[in-house]
Amino acid sequence: MSASQTVAATRRGAISLTGVTRIFTGAAPAVDHIDLDIHPGEFFTLLGPSGCGKTTLLRMIAGFETPDDGRILISGREMQDVPAHKRAVNTVFQSYALFPHLNVEQNIGFGLKMQGVKSPERKKRVDAIMELTQIGQFAKRSAAQLSGGQRQRVALARALVNEPEVVLLDEPLSALDAKLRAELQIELLRMQKRLGMTFIFVTHDQHEALVMSDRIAVMSKGRLQQIGPVLDVYERPRNVFVAEFLGLSNIWPITGHAGDRATTPLGALAINEPCQPGALAMIRPEKIWLYNDTAAPKDRPNQFFGTISEAIYMGAATQYRVELAGGQMVLAYDTNNQAAERSWRPGEKVAVELKPENIMLVQP
Amino acid sequence: MSIPASVRYTLAGISWPVYVLLYTPLVLVAYYSLTPHAASEWHAYQLLFSDSAVFTALQRSLILALGSASSSTALGVLLGYGLARFRNRHGRGWLSHLPGLIIYTPIIMPSIVFGISELIFFNLVHNATGLFAAGLQTMMIAHITFQVPYVALTVFARLSGLDPNLFDAAHDLYADGVKSFIHLILPVVQPAIIGGFLLGITLSIDDFTISFFTAGPGSVTLPIYIYSAIARKGVTPEINALGTVMIGTIIIMALGHFFITSRRERAGHFAARGNLG
Repeated sequence: MSASQTVAATRRGAISLTGVTRIFTGAAPAVDHIDLDIHPGEFFTLLGPSGCGKTTLLRMIAGFETPDDGRILISGREMQDVPAHKRAVNTVFQSYALFPHLNVEQNIGFGLKMQGVKSPERKKRVDAIMELTQIGQFAKRSAAQLSGGQRQRVALARALVNEPEVVLLDEPLSALDAKLRAELQIELLRMQKRLGMTFIFVTHDQHEALVMSDRIAVMSKGRLQQIGPVLDVYERPRNVFVAEFLGLSNIWPITGHAGDRATTPLGALAINEPCQPGALAMIRPEKIWLYNDTAAPKDRPNQFFGTISEAIYMGAATQYRVELAGGQMVLAYDTNNQAAERSWRPGEKVAVELKPENIMLVQP
Repeated sequence: MSIPASVRYTLAGISWPVYVLLYTPLVLVAYYSLTPHAASEWHAYQLLFSDSAVFTALQRSLILALGSASSSTALGVLLGYGLARFRNRHGRGWLSHLPGLIIYTPIIMPSIVFGISELIFFNLVHNATGLFAAGLQTMMIAHITFQVPYVALTVFARLSGLDPNLFDAAHDLYADGVKSFIHLILPVVQPAIIGGFLLGITLSIDDFTISFFTAGPGSVTLPIYIYSAIARKGVTPEINALGTVMIGTIIIMALGHFFITSRRERAGHFAARGNLG
């Protein structure tokens, strides 16, 4: 661990993982030598497909699982062997896990009660957090009498009321419908910024990860694929897995290069980055420019002609599949705003432009 | 989906003879308890209430029932909790079901087999060590043994129907093992505990076979008393009177239970609606 990491890890709400590994019997490691530093007050997301080990990693930070190897530092203290009830970390579960025999108020006060916080103080703190999460009017109801969104708020309040160093959220919004989920995403984010607590959020939804996070760690098969600020991970993915998991992309192998142009199945491509052997060229569909075939600006590189083979109208934008003269497919995304030149229908002739600065190199 | 009227009427038609079959014997017991006694000028109920042997037997039955039901509830809760908490969720093959099978065995075992095996066991232990002379204590042990599986299975069913994250949640919210048992497990399984306890009492008072084999000379309980009275003198009005008192007690208790729970349910619905409005 470097000196700067050590300093960062001793601050309240900082988390530092070194070589954390968990192997369930008779299987490939669920979590495989993860090194990770999470900063205090950060909204950090573990993103990956189901079974990638993100929930297991979260459960090890919570204390529900013990790592087979590695160290977990929470606010600078070694925690890998400390039981869950002695960690200043609280979890919001995917299933909410509200206690069925307690009402909303008692559910929220459970952690304080277990810590020995006496009644007047406990009530004050529970009331304050219910106010913050807007569930005051449901205080006396049982969990069974609440809607999904209300349960989610109770689960969040039950974690926040303890003022933990770190809040762990295991896909907390996945059971909600799209509209409510979008509302709660923003609300959760505002609350996190206001309280300044470290949030570690687990999700398989790349859109949710992009909306909410300061930084994202993309996981696959128990390993970290890339860690970085949202913009970096989306715009500059390190490998094909990250590029494809975070959104739609066009990816072509680079088979060689002639001068400053890379040889790809499309033809010669001008690329700003220096070519590395084995790398692939990646461009996001929304970074591709579409023109009528006669209107394309002739003086710029990376222009290819083709025919629209599919146009999917999606409200704010339209997604096009363009078949180039050489048979290659290009996925392009065009906003349906006033500035958009026009929209196209299948069969129409178009030109696509792949600007060199928008083409990224990714590893396989 | 609706059931055709003809089927419904047929089923209703069958159900009435079944009710008659169920309740006629009970009514007959009550009827015969009121007929005059052949050998005595006293009424059957006067005889019954002046018979101290009946009350001693009743007292023993109640001690046995309360004692065995409360012990087996305590043991059954722990056993059910252990079965639910440490079960192998992803287990395959018969070995992973072994704990469950072992618990089931006393329930499906015919009580005569159970009673005889208890008798042999207690005899062996008694001959070897001098402990466990046949009497109320051996009956108590036998009754606890056959009641524990019922309680354990009710508790197990309740716990395994819960979200497994609840245990993690309690742990996450600063409750250690003991605190989560007191503040989560016990309140959550409380209905199963009460149900198991009441079932234990019913099974114990009702049991004849196992009691018969494990009883000693000084431990005659109500079912054994009734059996020996019938064996000696046949079914006398006095026995019918005792039967009628028992039927009456059960009916009153069942009605009481019905009214309490239905009132609580109505209160529950009302609370729910009041809150939602």
